[in-house]
Amino acid sequence: MSGYLARRIASALPTLLGITLLAFLLLRVLPGRPGSAGREEGMVSAEAMARVRAAAPAAVSPAAGYAVWISGLVHGDLGRSEHDGRPVTTVLGEALPWTLLLNGTALLIIYGLAVPFGLLSAAAPGSRFDRLGGAFLIGLYALPSFAAGLLLQQWVAVRWNLLPLQGPPDIPAGAGWWQAVATTLAHATLPAVCLALSGWAFVARYARAVFQSALGRQFLTAARARGLSRTRAVAHAALWAAVPFVTLLATILPGLAGGSVVVEQIFSWPGVGRLYLGAIETRDTPVILGLTLLSALLVLAANLIVDLLYAVVDPRIRERLEGEPSGGR
Amino acid sequence: MGADRRSPARRPGGILRGHGRRGLSIGFLAALFGVALFAPLIANDRPLVARVGGRFSFPALGDLFRFGANTGDFGRPEINWASPPPGVEVLLGTPLPWSYRGIRLEETLEPPGWRHLLGTDALGRDLLARLVHGARVSFLIGLGATLAAIGAGLVIGATAALRGGLVDVALVRLMDVFSCFPPFILALGIIAAGGRGGPWPVVAGIALNRWASMARYVRGEVIRQRSAESWEAARAAGAAGPRLLLRHVLPLLSGPLAVLGSFGVVHAIILESGLSFVGFGVDPPIPSWGAMLAESRATLDAAWWPVLAPAAALLLTLAALGAAADHAGETRSPAAPLL
Repeated sequence: MSGYLARRIASALPTLLGITLLAFLLLRVLPGRPGSAGREEGMVSAEAMARVRAAAPAAVSPAAGYAVWISGLVHGDLGRSEHDGRPVTTVLGEALPWTLLLNGTALLIIYGLAVPFGLLSAAAPGSRFDRLGGAFLIGLYALPSFAAGLLLQQWVAVRWNLLPLQGPPDIPAGAGWWQAVATTLAHATLPAVCLALSGWAFVARYARAVFQSALGRQFLTAARARGLSRTRAVAHAALWAAVPFVTLLATILPGLAGGSVVVEQIFSWPGVGRLYLGAIETRDTPVILGLTLLSALLVLAANLIVDLLYAVVDPRIRERLEGEPSGGR
Repeated sequence: MGADRRSPARRPGGILRGHGRRGLSIGFLAALFGVALFAPLIANDRPLVARVGGRFSFPALGDLFRFGANTGDFGRPEINWASPPPGVEVLLGTPLPWSYRGIRLEETLEPPGWRHLLGTDALGRDLLARLVHGARVSFLIGLGATLAAIGAGLVIGATAALRGGLVDVALVRLMDVFSCFPPFILALGIIAAGGRGGPWPVVAGIALNRWASMARYVRGEVIRQRSAESWEAARAAGAAGPRLLLRHVLPLLSGPLAVLGSFGVVHAIILESGLSFVGFGVDPPIPSWGAMLAESRATLDAAWWPVLAPAAALLLTLAALGAAADHAGETRSPAAPLL
């Protein structure tokens, strides 16, 4: 197992290098020099411009620039924001918990609703529940998250006044911890539901297919023949089919990360996605670069963890992979 | 599956399942594609045929090939077609006499009615006309980006599988790298780097993101089918390079690629509408369905119809694409790839 672990991590290293190279090429080499933001509008005085230029690394060859950037990266230094001069890592660190909260809640909603739904419709294929649910899922899959967000805001928040409209929770001073948790959850619910919608349809369809193939297995027929109740047989099948859901996580995570850009914008959520849009608007290259890199690294890490979990859960896969020298997919 | 020998239309709820649904969705998509392609001939404030100073002219036809550019009518004297000056005679107007950019401040936020079938937006622009032109943007971006992604995926995936060795390792690594970037974020990054202007950064952003999954699929399929006898025969006969790719790889993969392609168009349209929604899509006043939704946000308290039209259009189109892809998957390949 440890050998497999080491090989899997080693095989991710070239990908890691490729990610940094692509991000740097795309965002540092293609556009203009650092410090060009706001110059066209005449908003920055020549004096201030000179100061920014002096602070920014001098124009060097892309290769040298990459070397400097990567050595900073290794030391956890992503440079400073061109917008307000704070270190990029600080700016990211402030926004990241909000995005993680949102995405974590969305994941809970996705799995909590989609897996039972898939199980129920697979248990009775062709039933009214299955057919209506299938049509509902196609509709849900096709509904863009921002359209859903607008509708949710308009009805749940504005018309019915059930949940807060938008924004981060402002917890009153002196509130107990349970009150803080309740306020935070109330504020996170609408954006998380909105973020969960498209992933939900995807996981539910997948769950239906997986459970359907699981319910047709012979070991279930055998168990039923020996007198196992229907409910317990379904529970067995559900356990047997649980493994692929771990891998599915790696598939839906990039979509969630992208989706939270739109959702955070709609709900004024102070997370990474909104930061990214703001940085693009102000052409704050260090922040754009840092965020692009961060998102790709998170996806890479998630892939790695999912692969390792998969090997932990299913010994057959571990054996097969340990036989292979390169361990990659 | 029970053996139901009735025709699909006679089964309970039948026309919406089976081949009826496929026919319906493919017909809908074809009609929509026609609308998208010929949008300037359907909704335009310039007539189709007019007589200017004794000569025939076709003012609307000129708009047909102007796509994406911020229509440069500003320097040119434009005839007032609504009340033509003497010597100008409108012979045949377009079915919808409104253009997507005709601002009419005296008709802002009119509810759907006979004059404006879907109502008007906050600037008094006809929503149906904008919807028709928005189909053009959404469809052409979705199709263009997906075709580019399939082309790149086919060439790179097949190269990796057929060359093998170091080339294969390097190309697979490249696919890994690209698929680590979340789609939306990669597209935004490319738009940030390339600057805005027209639909091309959007197409490039989406295509650069989608090609990796196509290439991975093509590579897997080619490796799986490499040992088939037909291939050996083709190679023995001297087929190699582009010929092998076009005549022998492509036909084997055409069914699954059609499925991947329709899902790809769905993703591209969603991505484009999201980009337009956050303000990094095509430049206004060119409408896209996502941009229309974003614009409708400001007046949501006063009017519901500006939201309804583009949302319904997106929903119907994507559902039709999904249904068509589902059926192509069921009829052509036993295991539809889950994207």
